[in-house]
Amino acid sequence: MKIPRKEELLKLQAKYRTDKRIGEALGGVPEYLVAYWRRKKNIGRYSLPKYSKEQIKDLWERYGNDTKAGAELGISKSGFYKWRKLYNLLEKPKALKFQQLEFSLAGQTGLSKSAGIPVNQSSRKSTIAQKLLAKKAGKAEILVGEIVNVEPDLAMSHDNAGLVIKQFKQIGQSQVWNPHRIVIPLDHRAPAESEKTATAHKSIRGFVREQKIKNFYDIKEGICHQVVIEKAHILPGELAVGTDSHTTSYGCLGALSTGIGATEMAALWATGRIWLKVPDSINIIIQGKMPKGVYAKDVILYIIGQLTVEGASYKSVEYYGETVTKMSVSERFTLCNLSMEMGAKFAVVPFDRIARKYLFSITRQKYEPIFSDRDAVFEKEYEFDVSNLEPQVACPHNVDNVKPISEVKGIKVDQVVLGSCTNGRLDDLKVAAKILKGKKIHPEIRMLILPATRTIYLQAMKKGYLKTFLDAGAVILNPGCGPCLGAHEGILAAGERCLATTNRNFKGRMGSPESFVYLASPAVAATTAIKGEIADPREFVK
Amino acid sequence: MVKKFKGKTWVVGDDIDTDQIFHGQYLPLTDPKEMAKHAMEFVPGMEDFIKKVKPGDIVIAGKNFGCGSSREHAVVCLQENGVSCVMADSFARIFYRNAVNLGFPLMECPGISKIVKTGDKVEVNLETGEVTNLSTKKKLKGQPPSGLELEIAKKGGLLNYLKG
Repeated sequence: MKIPRKEELLKLQAKYRTDKRIGEALGGVPEYLVAYWRRKKNIGRYSLPKYSKEQIKDLWERYGNDTKAGAELGISKSGFYKWRKLYNLLEKPKALKFQQLEFSLAGQTGLSKSAGIPVNQSSRKSTIAQKLLAKKAGKAEILVGEIVNVEPDLAMSHDNAGLVIKQFKQIGQSQVWNPHRIVIPLDHRAPAESEKTATAHKSIRGFVREQKIKNFYDIKEGICHQVVIEKAHILPGELAVGTDSHTTSYGCLGALSTGIGATEMAALWATGRIWLKVPDSINIIIQGKMPKGVYAKDVILYIIGQLTVEGASYKSVEYYGETVTKMSVSERFTLCNLSMEMGAKFAVVPFDRIARKYLFSITRQKYEPIFSDRDAVFEKEYEFDVSNLEPQVACPHNVDNVKPISEVKGIKVDQVVLGSCTNGRLDDLKVAAKILKGKKIHPEIRMLILPATRTIYLQAMKKGYLKTFLDAGAVILNPGCGPCLGAHEGILAAGERCLATTNRNFKGRMGSPESFVYLASPAVAATTAIKGEIADPREFVK
Repeated sequence: MVKKFKGKTWVVGDDIDTDQIFHGQYLPLTDPKEMAKHAMEFVPGMEDFIKKVKPGDIVIAGKNFGCGSSREHAVVCLQENGVSCVMADSFARIFYRNAVNLGFPLMECPGISKIVKTGDKVEVNLETGEVTNLSTKKKLKGQPPSGLELEIAKKGGLLNYLKG
């Protein structure tokens, strides 16, 4: 191979930064060899500054404020100032970039200064939704029913970014409001299952390059919601919107998040603002120790069964109680994720020690959690005791058609799916692996397993779960949404029944309109796979 | 903004989800005309909807219409078939937002599914919220859009609203 010249090496360094990655880009040259070439050519390890002038200039023109611009890079106010001074960017920008297109509400003038305004401690009787939206809107207090115009901390889109891009181009603005706050993982049809999808994916890849959206995760990474959590794109006290209904999941970290449509996402990309109505809140208290063989999935299915599919319509749901405070972030994720199925706008488990501990393991970013006031006004309050709960199953064709396992066991199924944003995390795989260890899946059952993300896939590999699954006779699919929305990888034929750990059992959701989907926990899924019919996991979970 | 609609109705039940209105397998479609071909495909009893729907028809639903996914296709496919307006006892949140943002007239009208049968002629006034079933002469009052929703509706959708 040809040794690169000095200019070439400098260019590579600008692009790839580290010796290791330069080596990889050159086709597997070892790190030490690149380092050797560098020394020979008298190039420092980091001869180029960490942040380019373009990058600093771009942020400075977007914000005109050291604190906010620094926050985008994860550096302090003075840190950003130093970089700015280095590049001689001393004057305030005349006009801020993201204000190119002003989005103002009727009767409301100008943009509110959202960041940096502390939550008014004296405003009482407010829920998390009220306080967080008030903070974002730059107001001391807001009332339920008010419409606010806010700048979210995160705008997430998945494969439907293709549609968002189409709408964005119609607006006629050349640049997105803030490439740092846009996250796009491809997961719904990954890898592309048709030419149409391939074309959409291609247009998304082109767009993120052109707009410098660095938080783009190609088909390898996994399900969008889990990726957002794992990569710390959302933090407690932040506001997120996503073009997916299950965006409510980020409440597991004490954030507010909700699903929106593609057109409004395009408008958000252009203006940095979105209109949200301040919702009423409901308070769900869960008490009691979950019995063996009963999991967060059973708890939330039971609640949906009681409250019905529109029981929390337009509402912000806050979860409290000793059962919730003991749940892991993953279990809280399941709660918040499925809250969408009762119509919730937001679902949130208030930030606490467990969320802090989890966050500490993935990020050192600063955050500011928000809590409801002690005397916050909730529209309704529900209390559930789970200490005698049975495993639950949501029967076709509605998520609120929930029955205890004793009423449905014995129903023959053809396919079992373990995965999805609802239940595809390491603890879910662990439960299933424990049950499947040393056993064989029923010969008439097809069991499909999809770890939610690449990280989880790797962890499951290390722990040996994947071997357990393969030994038992399961099919392991790549991280992503897979068959959950009936797009590919496990479509059902007419008359077939599937038991899945996913989130929807609508008519025809996984394929033929004549097929049937049952929703349950990973433990029920594993037990059902062994028995060939819906079975109670409690005899296997000791 | 058109404020009055008169048309033949298609009545569907409660909790009609987005998979029934526009199934997930067609999500890669981005051309509205293509989307229109799959409208209401999985709704029980609506098998002939695509064949027989005419511009100006009105869709009436029970509670929680459009629950489930955030897909905008569910609104676009009705819009492209010329459906003039949707009324329901209640709507699911994201469907409602999408309709407002796409400039598709809709109105929450509790009790509407009780007074209308498929094929009835209905007159709607989106300004006052008055609904009249011309076939049975029954009347009802819904909640017409107001505030920001009305502003967006006047411009025919969020994108036009932004362009001013």
